[in-house]
Amino acid sequence: MKGRLVILWAVVGIPLLWGVMKTLQNAMKLFQ
Amino acid sequence: MTTSLLDRQATIAPPGFNRFLVPPAALAVHLSIGQAYAFSTFNLPLTKLIGITHSAPGDWDLKEVGWIFSIAIVFLGSSAAVFGRWVERVGPRRSMFTAALCFSGGFLVSAVGIHLHQLWLIYLGYGVLGGCGLGIGYISPVSTLIKWFPDRPGMATGMAIMGFGGGALIAAPLSVMLMDHFKTAASNGVLETFVTMGVIYFMFMMIGVYTVRVPAADWKPAGWTAPAQPKQLVTSANVSVDMAWRTPQFWLLWVVLCMNVTAGIGVLGQASPMIQEIFSGRVTPSAAAGFVGLISLFNMVGRFFWASTSDYIGRRNTYMVFFLLGILLYSAVPTLGHWGSTPLFVAAFCIILSMYGGGFATIPAYLRDMFGTYQVGAIHGRLLTAWSVAGVLGPVLVNYIRQYQIDSGVPKAQAYSVTMYIMCGLLLIGFLCNFAMRAVDENYHYRGSTT
Repeated sequence: MKGRLVILWAVVGIPLLWGVMKTLQNAMKLFQ
Repeated sequence: MTTSLLDRQATIAPPGFNRFLVPPAALAVHLSIGQAYAFSTFNLPLTKLIGITHSAPGDWDLKEVGWIFSIAIVFLGSSAAVFGRWVERVGPRRSMFTAALCFSGGFLVSAVGIHLHQLWLIYLGYGVLGGCGLGIGYISPVSTLIKWFPDRPGMATGMAIMGFGGGALIAAPLSVMLMDHFKTAASNGVLETFVTMGVIYFMFMMIGVYTVRVPAADWKPAGWTAPAQPKQLVTSANVSVDMAWRTPQFWLLWVVLCMNVTAGIGVLGQASPMIQEIFSGRVTPSAAAGFVGLISLFNMVGRFFWASTSDYIGRRNTYMVFFLLGILLYSAVPTLGHWGSTPLFVAAFCIILSMYGGGFATIPAYLRDMFGTYQVGAIHGRLLTAWSVAGVLGPVLVNYIRQYQIDSGVPKAQAYSVTMYIMCGLLLIGFLCNFAMRAVDENYHYRGSTT
């Protein structure tokens, strides 16, 4: 059950973190 | 997949099921349908389907293309209101599956519309079919999460609804990457991107469909007992959806949500030109795009932060903070613009947009507090009509008042000041409605079986 929990959170968490990272990269332009 | 797998009965969790598997199932759906907030990335490419690099005669114009998103949002609100009771009856798995079919089907029908260059097919596909997928998908995990987390309902629904904000952060760069990948001399890649996104989102939403479970009727978190003395404005009774919307509390909450959303949504849609006009010559279009990304990020984070906070300070108090802090910040914006302080201006809007997202994420738990868990998903669906109204009211207020100010000779940099004060007025109305909130009268309580 624990392995399934980790996999499932990774499946939704990795795309979300990728989106956050891309947004932050873009947001940096505001302070350049 | 056989029909029986989709039945509510087939989704009842076995003993020992880990309830923390349910939020990622809900997130899989909300991260997908949250794509809607990034639909504008397709607006310009859709106006260049014939000309490829430029708009040619026969290409659609931006105004026509802009209706796709508006139709989708109208159908989001109306389908959530119409299908809410059905979602409660059939359970989360069948409703998530239906949402996946509608949302992905919307992309595929729209792809046919692009191929045949028939705009009405895109209105029908992404707008009507996709919009129904948005509405059903949005409400489908809400009551399930509330039942799994009776001890932390705000945090649980906040996690899912955070996905709706986060979906745009994924979809915007993904759409651009896919269009670049599929671009050829004969196509700007939109058609292929629509087909790919339809397939990707269907598969992603199916993760949620297969994972979601409802708790058994007598299930409770280990070691948790319902408080013997319920907190103020937290009911242990239930109100049915048909009865709920006859209560003054439903309409007070409707106005609360509508005012909170109106204040945020107008700014969100106009953020890029607004910061460029207020700080004319100092903020470039690319920096303004960074500003839009940053406030979208706060919109997402605020959903989890404020909804989780509401578990500790109470829903009514959380909205009190939204309205009072919102009034303070909106009234400070013209001064911050006048001072030319970009960091303070950006910080103010980051907090404002976090409260916009927080308003969406806290409302399901507020409804649960007022009306119980029995048909909270369906009641939430009906309340989302406030979003549809705010979706028209917010942008109209910001755009029309700005234009009126400019036409009256006010410099562009100051054209938003009146709008900000009007937003304060709207938040004051929301504050008064929230202040007037009282427990639902016992006459409205549901006496039948809720299992």
